[in-house]
Amino acid sequence: MSQRDPIKVGVLFSDYDAVSASETAQLKGTLFAIQEINEAGGIDGRELVAVQYDPHASAGQYRVLAERLIIKDKVNVIFGCFMSHTRKAVIPVIEKWNRLLFYPTLYEGFEHSNNVIYTGPAPNQNSVQLAEFMTSNFGARIYIVGSDYIFPYESNRIMTDLVQQRQDSEKVGERYVGLDATEKDFTDIIADIKNERPDFIFSTVVGNPTQYLYRAYADAGLDPKEMPIGSLSTSEAEIAQMGADVAAGHFTSAPYFQSIATPTNRICLENFRRRFGDETVPNQTWEAAYFQVYLFANAVRQVGSDEIDVLLPALLGSEHNAPQGRIRIDPSNNHTCLYPRIGQAKADGQFTIVRESRRAVYPDPYLVTHSLGDWTAKLDK
Amino acid sequence: MRVAVFHPKDQDGEQLTQQLQRIGCQVQAFWPPLQEPPADTDLVFFAVRPDVVKLDFPWCRESRSPAVIAVVNYENPVIVDAILRLGVKGVIASPVRSFGVLSALVVAQYVNDELHTKDKQITRLESKLFGIRKVAEAKSILMETRGITDREAYRVIREQAMTRRVSTEEIANAIINANSILSFKK
Repeated sequence: MSQRDPIKVGVLFSDYDAVSASETAQLKGTLFAIQEINEAGGIDGRELVAVQYDPHASAGQYRVLAERLIIKDKVNVIFGCFMSHTRKAVIPVIEKWNRLLFYPTLYEGFEHSNNVIYTGPAPNQNSVQLAEFMTSNFGARIYIVGSDYIFPYESNRIMTDLVQQRQDSEKVGERYVGLDATEKDFTDIIADIKNERPDFIFSTVVGNPTQYLYRAYADAGLDPKEMPIGSLSTSEAEIAQMGADVAAGHFTSAPYFQSIATPTNRICLENFRRRFGDETVPNQTWEAAYFQVYLFANAVRQVGSDEIDVLLPALLGSEHNAPQGRIRIDPSNNHTCLYPRIGQAKADGQFTIVRESRRAVYPDPYLVTHSLGDWTAKLDK
Repeated sequence: MRVAVFHPKDQDGEQLTQQLQRIGCQVQAFWPPLQEPPADTDLVFFAVRPDVVKLDFPWCRESRSPAVIAVVNYENPVIVDAILRLGVKGVIASPVRSFGVLSALVVAQYVNDELHTKDKQITRLESKLFGIRKVAEAKSILMETRGITDREAYRVIREQAMTRRVSTEEIANAIINANSILSFKK
């Protein structure tokens, strides 16, 4: 490859509204970063070219298209995957051909591949903080609602473990709905919640059904001041789907909210809206998808190649001024040091940040240490 | 060796069944998992996936059950907990490679056999221990009621066992039962 040739990168997200507004936001975040980098002169004059496929939320398609990107399109790096089973479908392909996957999604942890850079939060960067916040402000009687797949199973197990560290804790319910659940699937659950009166609800409902949970909650006349929903994945994008009035008062734990009041974030959002309009709603997965392209570009600029064997040493330990703050790839586990924050949804669809970490929190994907009440893990503000 | 494979028919499933055939196993493959493996199955490969973790397979916990080897693609505690509940004797990782299947199979089979042998030994030792306790109890009954020594009491029990051609434990049991009836009469 000559030093003037364009650099092709694979982009593998479902731009398919039936799955999740968060995954669409990831796609747009990736393309946005690529545009910005190219307009600023590319990587030392070399243009980044996105080779983009839509796997339509099918794990089989993710695998097939990842292989096509590698063999036919000859990419060395793929940005992609939202749901865990799609990541699991792509990893064997990536490892077999020794390529690199950038994965910009919060997930359930307990994984490491030397061929993956994980830029979303691990459970110690969102679940621990949410458990701490919800139990100390509302109490430890928890009701869990989740989508029926591995991320909710594992996140719910972790949350249950964390909440049980409180003396008066009690799990009063744990219910699952399909990934294509609609409003009627939540009727029963909301009735049960009304009956059990938990201190808070932990939701790991993911993607489009998220809106129906919050809608059913509001329709039942429940009050977020008394019994809020705490979530890891209900972002500005999901709130735009459900309507801000329905989400107002509930809490989400994430490293990024649009409302972060830094010049970097403000300028980034302005640039994005100028190019992509208001249709795509920036959120935590959008931000991770955006900054991870920069991590890649910085490393390529440093070593002059996008091949994993030379690129990885430059990537591991590298830092970048992301919209959420200065992030860093932890060289020991390929995950990212991030800034946990707790946001409370407002009537305008944005979040008031009620807690945030001033320093980046190290990723601990295998949850080696996680105790509630540990003041080193406490959020400021 | 007869092996049942509970695995979807995908790349991993095919890789696994083909390798098992290469190493000389008779293979039958099923998905979703059967309620229990076919009769005469020596070993089961079981894809432990998020969609089966909530199911229960009681046969896995029975004492003479075939060894189970899990095929996993997640390594989080939900899955780890599920493989412990299945009582697996080995784990192979997805994506399945030909290499490693044979060693996993041999080790799992060995561990399973060893565990069964130990189980049998433990049962035998437990009943033996129980017998010894019975004999001691019967001896002390005889010593008390007949005013004889420990050695004489044991001789009585043994002689009775020899003439009736039964075990000393059975005689001891009879003495204990008789004594409890006699004491009741008092």
